[in-house]
Amino acid sequence: MLRAAHGKQQAHTTKRSWSVVVFSVGGLKLAARTEDVGGVSPWMESIPVPSQTPFVHAMLKRGNHVMPVYDLASRLSCQVQGDRLLCLEARHLDGPMAICIDADVPTLEAVEPTAIRPNGRMDVETLGMVTIGGEDVAIVALQRLGRLRQDAVRS
Amino acid sequence: MLVETAGFLVVRLGASYLALPANGVRGVLTQEEAGDEKAVTASGTIYQFVDLAQRLALVADLSGIEMRTVLYSTGHSHGAIRVEQVVGLTDVERKDCLPLPPQFQSDERNWFGGMMFYQDRLVLLVNPSWALGELVEVIPAPVGQMERMVEETSAAVGGSC
Repeated sequence: MLRAAHGKQQAHTTKRSWSVVVFSVGGLKLAARTEDVGGVSPWMESIPVPSQTPFVHAMLKRGNHVMPVYDLASRLSCQVQGDRLLCLEARHLDGPMAICIDADVPTLEAVEPTAIRPNGRMDVETLGMVTIGGEDVAIVALQRLGRLRQDAVRS
Repeated sequence: MLVETAGFLVVRLGASYLALPANGVRGVLTQEEAGDEKAVTASGTIYQFVDLAQRLALVADLSGIEMRTVLYSTGHSHGAIRVEQVVGLTDVERKDCLPLPPQFQSDERNWFGGMMFYQDRLVLLVNPSWALGELVEVIPAPVGQMERMVEETSAAVGGSC
């Protein structure tokens, strides 16, 4: 469930480019490397799990498989928007993790590594910041999402 | 071929389905049978009430007609656990007991020894030693260490996966 942005990503993609999925959470545009994304699908009701791990308080069941839910919207102090919310599957280092994102269908973009700047956002793990469509977009480090927060909680 | 199985009593508290190793269950009482005292005495053993819903920060309605009190013993400790509903008793093969995903990194690794599916529902396997207050709340250990500890605890009560 991905939409090519402006139909130009293939033409501009080179071996050096980063392919990113651009999605939004609470209206805030974010990106993630495509290799860190396992897929995008309609959001299903999650199962609450008593937990003291920050932002990990539920699981999502698909058939006989479950994956933890990371509440990125709460992490960013916002609420997901839209009627038909989507699930972005993150390929986290600890295993797949579900993230509820806005109903806006994510797009694919190609990003030149030289265009990636250090990110000023300290509220979420990122790989940097890039300008897409005139907007500054943080590239979320899905593989280590939650690690920064965990470290902060432990220290 | 011998298949290793463990028995579990599946209960519901609020929206959460939980399982207790069945070998520690000493009885299931109705509200009338359990009474309103602070403890239940059965066969000479005193079972102090344990507020599992509060310990897990779950919102549970314990006033319904399906509410039951589970008398539970680990051998070391005894407790009377109020649940919203007793859902059923099941035998689970060890292979069907799943570990809690490593993304859960805090005290919940003390609370739950793992998870399983029952009637297509996700069920969390409660660590009875923790539920009955045998485990002191500590700073969570690294995931591997905690799982070893839970395994040892489970082995000690002869039940959980």
